[in-house]
Amino acid sequence: MTSLPQSLPGAKKLGLVIDLDTCVGCHACAVNCKEWNTGGHYAPLPDHAPYGAEPDGVWFNRIHSYEAEDSNCGGRTVNFPRSCLHCEQPQCVTVCPTGASYKRAEDGIVLVNTDICIGCKLCSWACPYGAREFDEDAGVMKKCTLCIDRIYNTSLPEAEREPACVATCPSRARHFGDLGDPESKVSKLVASRGGVDLMPELGYKPVNKYLPPRRAQIPTKPTEAPMRNGKGVGSALLNLVDRVLSR
Amino acid sequence: MTPASSVLLLTTLTGFGYGLLAWLGVFASARALPASPWFVPVAVVIGLAFASAGLLASTLHLGRPERAWRAFSQWRSSWLSREGVASMLTYPPAMAFAALWWLMGPGAIATRAVGLLAAILGMVTVFCTAMIYASLKPIRQWHNRHTAPDYLIFALFSGAVLLAALLGMWFGHVLIAGIVAVIAALIGAGAKLAYWRFIDAQSPLATLASATGLANFGMVKPLDQPHFTENYILREMGYQIARKHAARLRRIVLIMAFLLPALLALIATFGVLPAIAAPLAVVLAGAGLFIERWLFFAEATHVSALYYGRAA
Repeated sequence: MTSLPQSLPGAKKLGLVIDLDTCVGCHACAVNCKEWNTGGHYAPLPDHAPYGAEPDGVWFNRIHSYEAEDSNCGGRTVNFPRSCLHCEQPQCVTVCPTGASYKRAEDGIVLVNTDICIGCKLCSWACPYGAREFDEDAGVMKKCTLCIDRIYNTSLPEAEREPACVATCPSRARHFGDLGDPESKVSKLVASRGGVDLMPELGYKPVNKYLPPRRAQIPTKPTEAPMRNGKGVGSALLNLVDRVLSR
Repeated sequence: MTPASSVLLLTTLTGFGYGLLAWLGVFASARALPASPWFVPVAVVIGLAFASAGLLASTLHLGRPERAWRAFSQWRSSWLSREGVASMLTYPPAMAFAALWWLMGPGAIATRAVGLLAAILGMVTVFCTAMIYASLKPIRQWHNRHTAPDYLIFALFSGAVLLAALLGMWFGHVLIAGIVAVIAALIGAGAKLAYWRFIDAQSPLATLASATGLANFGMVKPLDQPHFTENYILREMGYQIARKHAARLRRIVLIMAFLLPALLALIATFGVLPAIAAPLAVVLAGAGLFIERWLFFAEATHVSALYYGRAA
């Protein structure tokens, strides 16, 4: 059913929190995601000419790098992992004509039933985040499952029951948890670090949150702060020098 | 958005088919069609043939066409599903209209009522098609108040031209359909000009800064792309047409889709070679509307392309 499940207060909203301050842009999340998922729920994920001149395939994570410019401190590199945000208002679900695209009531994960997907691609048009990629070999749409086959997998040790991208991140820039529970670790992290939604103006209410990078405290231009306000002999001396040199 | 020829064919052909059904129903209910027992049955079959060809073409772009029947199930939420359901619901009254015209005659109340029902359901199908595009929030050139009325106008225009051609070839005169086609062409041209003016003045839905949550920093520029060659997202949604090509194609659309067919329909109305002028108008309108539909895709931008540094 592609109508959205009724969202109840306090309902589980599983998702990711991605720390743009500590992400080093190593692509390990993308690689481990591909590694797990090409053998997991949506296996296989196609790869055409992976070692050729024009490699092409389905990936659930894409790691961009941007330059964010600050008028005082110059630019800084922001590595930006992009994946499905498991939105609360996912239009990718409601546009689906077959019921293949659905949002789970119990944890909010957005999935595709590839057994009934007709491959019309409309869901990918409805996603503002470019999160869905079409499997040309199978003729169906595929997407991030939040590693549904890991997080509930009782044959894995409990510590490993988290998405592959989170498990592998060497800088601990990715966090997994219940964003519907204000007391959860991830919710507190979002609250303390001022986590943000991507493109909130489109109204999809993404569950995944991004923690903004810190701003550098080092101005690109040296400050020429006068020392006149200081106290003590040193300051008085510098004050005198400043006056003499300023003549 | 990358224009997919199967979808362009779908919307253009169903426009002709359901537009023709609409005018047949309206003209029959107003008793404005010649009382020939064969005309409406043949015209309905032609209309349904256009619509069916379009619907079949649309299944060509599916990854799993053998599962297409599943698309009828989600009419509660999906405009694509509603389009499928409405298109199927149009067949019975359209065929009944043809049968009743032949069996009970053009004047029977049942004939005229069922004809009108087929006309309405055909237009409902066109409306659902339009809403597939109009409901997509990430595409500002589609998600606006122009899209749905424009699709209905273009369907009614193409249907009027097709009806005029059938009348011209069958009876040697185009009757009131010629005038209707001229008026619809002018309204269509006006609607398209208004649409272009609207999308040219639109501001972007989002920026790279809001897409990355980095708006507090000021400027955000792409530095490294995530991959070296185009992926599905860029192939499907990254297509962007050069401005100068768009300007030229817009002129071609205005002339080929609307102005020349209007001129041909006008001379056919005055009795100048109606059996040639009106069909020629159909050919030109078909080609012109196909280009119009191509531009509708090519000029549309998707916000996901922002992540790759493209405009949206």
